[in-house]
Amino acid sequence: MMILRTLKHQPLHGYALAQYIKRTSNDLLRIEEGSLYPALQRLLKEDLVKAEWSVSSTNRRVRIYRVTAKGAKHLEGEVSRFERMFEGIMRVLARGES
Amino acid sequence: MSWLKQLFSRRRLYADLAQEIREHLEEKTEELVKSGLSRKDAESAARRELGNLTLTEENARDVWRWPTIEDFLSDIRYGLRMLRNNPGFAIVSILTLALGIGANTAIFSVIDSILLRPLPYADSANLVMVWENNSRHPNPHNTVSPPDFLDWDKRNTVFSGMAAMVDQRANLTGNGPPQEVVRQAVTANFFSVLGVNPLLGAGFTAENNQPGHDNVAILSYGFWKERFGSDSSIVGKTIVLNGHPLTVVGVAPESFYWFIKDGSLTGAKPQMWSPWIIPEEYHDRKNVGRFMTVVARLKPGATVQQAQTQMNTIAAQIEQEYPDFNGYWGANVVPVRMQISGDLRPALWILFGAVGFVLLIACANVSSLLLARAAAREREMAIRTAIGASSWRIACQLLAESVLLAVAGGGIGVTLAIWGTNALLAASPRNLLDLRSVAIDMRILAFAIGSTLVAGLLFGFLPSFISAHLGLSETLKEGGLRSSAGRRRGILRSAFVVVQMCLALVLLAGSGLLMRSFIRLVGVDPGFDSNHLLTFKVNLPFSKYGTDPKCLAFFQELLSRLSHLPGVRSATMNSFPPFSGLGAATGVRILSQPSLSRSDLPVAAVRVVGPDYFHAMGIPLRVGRTFNAQELAEPRHVVIINQAFADKYLPDVNPLGQKVVIYMKSNTESENTPSEVIGVVSDVRHMGLETPESPTVYWPHPELVYSAMTILVRTANDPLALVTAARNELQQMDPEQPMAAIATMDQLLGDSLSRSRFTMMLLAIFAGIALLLAAVGIYGVIAYGVTQRIQEFGIRMALGAGRRDILRLVLRQGTRLALLGVGLGAISALTLSKFLATLLYEVSATDPWTFAGTALLLIFVSLAASWIPAHRATRVDPLVALRYE
Repeated sequence: MMILRTLKHQPLHGYALAQYIKRTSNDLLRIEEGSLYPALQRLLKEDLVKAEWSVSSTNRRVRIYRVTAKGAKHLEGEVSRFERMFEGIMRVLARGES
Repeated sequence: MSWLKQLFSRRRLYADLAQEIREHLEEKTEELVKSGLSRKDAESAARRELGNLTLTEENARDVWRWPTIEDFLSDIRYGLRMLRNNPGFAIVSILTLALGIGANTAIFSVIDSILLRPLPYADSANLVMVWENNSRHPNPHNTVSPPDFLDWDKRNTVFSGMAAMVDQRANLTGNGPPQEVVRQAVTANFFSVLGVNPLLGAGFTAENNQPGHDNVAILSYGFWKERFGSDSSIVGKTIVLNGHPLTVVGVAPESFYWFIKDGSLTGAKPQMWSPWIIPEEYHDRKNVGRFMTVVARLKPGATVQQAQTQMNTIAAQIEQEYPDFNGYWGANVVPVRMQISGDLRPALWILFGAVGFVLLIACANVSSLLLARAAAREREMAIRTAIGASSWRIACQLLAESVLLAVAGGGIGVTLAIWGTNALLAASPRNLLDLRSVAIDMRILAFAIGSTLVAGLLFGFLPSFISAHLGLSETLKEGGLRSSAGRRRGILRSAFVVVQMCLALVLLAGSGLLMRSFIRLVGVDPGFDSNHLLTFKVNLPFSKYGTDPKCLAFFQELLSRLSHLPGVRSATMNSFPPFSGLGAATGVRILSQPSLSRSDLPVAAVRVVGPDYFHAMGIPLRVGRTFNAQELAEPRHVVIINQAFADKYLPDVNPLGQKVVIYMKSNTESENTPSEVIGVVSDVRHMGLETPESPTVYWPHPELVYSAMTILVRTANDPLALVTAARNELQQMDPEQPMAAIATMDQLLGDSLSRSRFTMMLLAIFAGIALLLAAVGIYGVIAYGVTQRIQEFGIRMALGAGRRDILRLVLRQGTRLALLGVGLGAISALTLSKFLATLLYEVSATDPWTFAGTALLLIFVSLAASWIPAHRATRVDPLVALRYE
């Protein structure tokens, strides 16, 4: 879900994606970089992203991932589900405290 | 992307992925370099952070795969490559397995056909034979008398139907050359008791039970095909049997197989059935003896045990009511399957056990080979584990290899089995396995596949897997051949060899015992001269030769003509010649002895013979004389007895001149004239070489004019060369009279030995295979041990050991294994050989000579197998050996 969100914001290649997630989560989320690729491939398989080769800013040949329409819709669904779950949890916790 | 597209673009996907990951690594490295690390440090840091690259790539790839199938396929491909790179190993393993699995499947298919396959009758488990059995002269399958059958039928409540049959030979004329056929006369309910519907026609109806309406016949499928060319309009046609016309009312189905050898008066499979109404006079016990075979169907819910109990009661009742005819007679209920296969069971199960041993030995060999290869692949396995293979994947890999071997071996094995089984049947004598063919069907294939998988799994996979679990770093550090796992493997392999030796010895001992027994058997004197003796049957139909004088005259003339043929030394005849498997017996009253009731009388076999019988057959005369010309022309009430009769019933008395009443013609006293004993002849092994002769009396033909006799012609040369001439003579006398059951006495003798010979040969073949495999096994282990210890030998030789010493060292290992194996084998063989006891003739199941001999053989072969690698060990150049890694 996070990958999709990131990519929706800005299409990136693998390394950049890893760096971005690390930066924006303030180092709170340190994902194993190796697990990124299987995840990306899964998204590719499901047609939620598409990939193409191009040249990066540093003149490297990189594979850029871009969210597809299906991916965007999937992301919406995932986000809303997550928010609902989050709300549910918060409610229970809040209830518990009072 | 549809999955089809995915499949084809996969290569590109993988390529992209690989490049991607490489780029990632590069980029990371660059960053680290920028932040101050040296190139090398940056690289290792980057790699570490990225984690196991290969694993990552694989996991990413996994997204696109169908993991299980693809893994499996790649394992198979890898396995195939392995086998291709080691053709020697592959061929040896596959052939070994093929042998083991093939032999097992072949024997199992025979067992299946005889013991397991459903019989071609409805609900065959409920069919039983009912025999009579005399407690004083036990013959558990004694034929039944008509009055007893009728009484059983009336009084029982446990059978839903009882049918009786009598085999006869009859002459079929018309539609071709005259042919003697086996006709089974049956009570009209026969087919309904068996639950068999004819293939064509309506079969027997209740009407056929009425006199005058019984001139119908049902043909067997084989006979219909052979004689009438499967004529589909056969129903309603007329055939002429013994001069009587019969209408064909049915043809039995192809699968219908019915042949009860015990009690059969012809000893041959029936070719047609016709209804038989038991004549009125046969309802009286005074008039008739025991000659019918009875089959019955149990009522639903009734068990064989219940039937036996009830029949015992009924037989006891009858015994009380008719003490003269039924004293000591009881009934014996035998399930039909037991009847058909009973006496084959011990041999079959022994062969099955033997062949199981061969498979075990084969598997042990393959196991050993795999273990040896496992040693060489230790490094490979260690590296794979280091790269990231899970135990599961390695196990799957090994499994795939074993399965490949097993499947290849099993495939070849089944082919061997199919070819082998039919070859076996073709080679085995006709009376041995009364099977047309052994079809390989689903059950057998399942068995083959099952045994293949078990073999593959248990013996291919487990040892390899066990030995593949090893400490990673040790293996990578140590020289592969001398690792501790290698030692473990060595022990396993030695254990395998010991087990192989043990099993091989059991088989060798078993086959040795059978061989000794067979040799003993063949050496038994049959009591007559069986060389150059032609035999054939002539059965005169009642319609043409209804009177005694006509029969007598016919046979007399026939014998006279035959004896004058060139190449014929003498011609004679016997109602039941030796090795025909047929005979008749009855009670004999010796007048000079105290009177006994009819049922307490001693029993003797009765034979009716032609002129010059004893001389022509080479049966020595002990006392007295043989029949003279007058006695051979008309009934003069004389009889010749055999030594067994004299010893058993006339001990301490001069047998000549004794008068005996032989109750063959009738059960009533008055109709049996006493015969005078005029001579005593030597015993003849009538039933088979292993059965001692029972008391027998011989009558000349005129005394009891059988219309069916077996002609015996002693020839100067090959008996079969005289068949045409003999047939000519016969046809000149009566062109409609066929000759049947043509065989030489040597053939008949051979047939009677066929079962023993067959079992012995099969077991010997298995023992030979086992010996070969065990030798290969021990060779493998010793050879491997030598390669392991080459350095050691080099050191020893450098230190001054001579060739002899090295030889002795190596042989010591071989001897130890062999002795251990032989020792264990001897103990097992001694315990198991008692199962063989039923098949042995005059050889004890623990015969020490056989055991000693086979043990020595095995030790010798093992030493020979060990000697080759030992010899090679001595030829090693110490310098080379020392540097060997």
